[in-house]
Amino acid sequence: MALPVSADATPAAPVRSVSARHFVRLKLRVMGNNFRGQGWRIALFVGGALLGLWFAASGFFLFAAPGLTGNGRYAVLIAAAGGGLLVLGWLFLPLVFFGVDETLDPARFALLPLPRRTLVTGLFVAALISVPVLAVLIASFGLVLTAWSLGGWSAGLVAVVGVLAGLLLCVAASRAVTSAFATMLRSRRVRDLAAVLLAVTAALLGPLQVFGLAALREADWARLTGVATVIGWTPLGAPWTVGIDVAQGRVWAAPVKLLITVVALGALLAWWSRSLESAMVGAASAGKAPVRRGVTGGAVAQLFPRIATWAGRDRFGALVAREARYWWRDARRRANLITIAVVGIFVPVLINVTGGDFAVEGGAGFTAAASDSSPVVVTISMVLVGVLAAVTLANQFGFDGSAYAANVVAGVPGRVELRARMTAFSLYVLPMLGFVAVVLSFLLSRPEWIGLTIGGLVATYGAGLAVNSLISVLGAYSLPETSNPFAMNSGAGLAKGLLTLLAMLVSVVVAVPMVVAAALLGDAWLWLALPVGAAYGLGAALLGAYLAGDVLDRRQPELLATVTPRR
Amino acid sequence: MTVEHPALALRGLAKRFDGTIAVAGVDLDVPAGSFYGLLGPNGAGKTTTLSMAVGLLRPDAGSAWVLGHDVWQDPVTAKRLLGVMPDGVRLFDRLTGAELLAYNGLLRGMDPAVVDQRAAELLDVLALGDAGRTLVVDYSAGMKKKIGLACALLHGPRVLVLDEPFEAVDPVSAALIRDILTRYAAGGGTVVFSSHVMEVVERLCSHVAILAGGTIKRVGTIDEVRGGRSLEQVFVEVVGGRTATGEELSWLSQ
Repeated sequence: MALPVSADATPAAPVRSVSARHFVRLKLRVMGNNFRGQGWRIALFVGGALLGLWFAASGFFLFAAPGLTGNGRYAVLIAAAGGGLLVLGWLFLPLVFFGVDETLDPARFALLPLPRRTLVTGLFVAALISVPVLAVLIASFGLVLTAWSLGGWSAGLVAVVGVLAGLLLCVAASRAVTSAFATMLRSRRVRDLAAVLLAVTAALLGPLQVFGLAALREADWARLTGVATVIGWTPLGAPWTVGIDVAQGRVWAAPVKLLITVVALGALLAWWSRSLESAMVGAASAGKAPVRRGVTGGAVAQLFPRIATWAGRDRFGALVAREARYWWRDARRRANLITIAVVGIFVPVLINVTGGDFAVEGGAGFTAAASDSSPVVVTISMVLVGVLAAVTLANQFGFDGSAYAANVVAGVPGRVELRARMTAFSLYVLPMLGFVAVVLSFLLSRPEWIGLTIGGLVATYGAGLAVNSLISVLGAYSLPETSNPFAMNSGAGLAKGLLTLLAMLVSVVVAVPMVVAAALLGDAWLWLALPVGAAYGLGAALLGAYLAGDVLDRRQPELLATVTPRR
Repeated sequence: MTVEHPALALRGLAKRFDGTIAVAGVDLDVPAGSFYGLLGPNGAGKTTTLSMAVGLLRPDAGSAWVLGHDVWQDPVTAKRLLGVMPDGVRLFDRLTGAELLAYNGLLRGMDPAVVDQRAAELLDVLALGDAGRTLVVDYSAGMKKKIGLACALLHGPRVLVLDEPFEAVDPVSAALIRDILTRYAAGGGTVVFSSHVMEVVERLCSHVAILAGGTIKRVGTIDEVRGGRSLEQVFVEVVGGRTATGEELSWLSQ
């Protein structure tokens, strides 16, 4: 069978080179095919696009305000602060809330003979095709209008260049950071480190906002403009302020600022390209896991983690034990737990320490605002935290994916399933919520409010569990089976957003009695809040599991089909 | 009652996905105690049929009975009698092998002591004991098939339904799986499995059904279906494969 093989083993040069155009067309094709025959997906997409347009329009008028009013005094402030917030938003929001659209999964390109530069440019350009990018583009053209009306054509043209560069910077930053964190969360060695790092980074958002708002309240506009000028010289603000610089006669600043932007962009792309490589290889092999020896006890004893040893060795106990292990071992679920921890701390601090002002006429600074907080405001902030914690379960079956088949095959009753899932999640979340409540009470120097905070939290959390159980059964969607815990299916990002919004709205409505009680009952409520809240939360959760369990019993196969990723 | 009921009976099962017909009315009787092979080319509807038979996928029409219990009307009883290993479905793979077995056992309401003892035996026999605390996600393809089989066997089902149990399995593991299945069938259990490996089917099965294009093309005992020829010949004839002439793909030779 030995045929003569020519000695020349170098492959023939490809006839055509691959360019970013191919990636763009591939992305459009994949998006289009996702829509095929799925009316509701198209509807969701259109809804999301409209929502994006609405945000884009409001952003546009904010950015264009100095130009429209012909008042250039705050132009730099608005451009630098607004643009900087845009970049920060692109950095943090995907990490903490939304995830990134991974329509084109880098791992799929691992076998193609593509130079890394082509791959990175291609994926980058493909990433630009999305509704959020379009929305930001529209909004930021408000800056162009401002620059044009203040400084004529030349300033407007420079602003166009700046705005486009800024947009590229936003997308590059979000890709580089999520990709790097995904790599770290995947690696077994630095996974815990990454989790802590992510939590700390996100937790920084809270204090930043507090100081930002406190500074705004001091309202020394001249000083703020000074700060904005400084921000304008960092990559955060540089691209957004060039047009205004030209308009205000600082023409020399434009090339320098554009250079700053380009250097930052290059650094981000280089960083992304490095973690991208590990993502591509990582899909093939995540490295050998250490074979941990020292197995003690039988199989059943091994299943139950320390946090769930109290559970009975039965169906309910097995579900709780498996879920408890999953919240810890599954990168996607861990990322969600971290989000809860972060949000749980910064939302109440934000509302009570700074936002207290909006509810109560107070005003001067940090400490005064703290003492101005009222039981109603505290309860409202606790409602928000409880709702945000519970909403993590809105797609709890999506986390399992097709593995949920095991429960369907075993015929697990829906009520047991849902109660066990609530219990396992609460094992992690309730201690966190308790911690938040205690810390907040002491931060406000109102230790007597501990009952109030815990009561409000537990009541909302329980009500949220009930609402989200039902939503998780009726509105589940599949998550991609990639190793990137931040990845979303295209279109699913929007579905996720709307579903989350719905779940939160309903949960808030269910929790309203706690706020009303706090407003009407006065001091008596300080004592009643804890027992009443706990009973309310527990009752709501059990009722939710009872009702949603019935629905689940009837649609187990359908649920399995919706959470199984299409391949 | 098991005497009069077939282990698995399918009547008019049909399923359509987005306008394409995946399964177009399948009738099948699997006698109790038989070793039943469901043969078919890729995309013939084997997985869809088996999923509908075990309660994982709701059929558009038709019904399925396990030992006389309707899978879709009385799922609790039917599922108790069934052991299932689906294909293309993840396990709860962030558990270790032992944890996964314990989970499945308790989920089926078994006594913890029995779960412990059976899990240890299964891990030992299937040569998975060495994996220790390795998570199932880090298992090789063959190990994943074996732990999936162990999960399906753990509660001692009367009927075992396996989707592609020999796919992506090395010869040593395949021999092990074959041995275990043969012993299970000899002990009075019924095995239904899908495959497109003729050699395994010919060696193991007492009955065969050939599925193509969503309908059953041939069904009966293995000798009836073969009719004196080799199973492969019958299969290719039924499915209607084409043979290459040698003219195409000339660029493949260097």
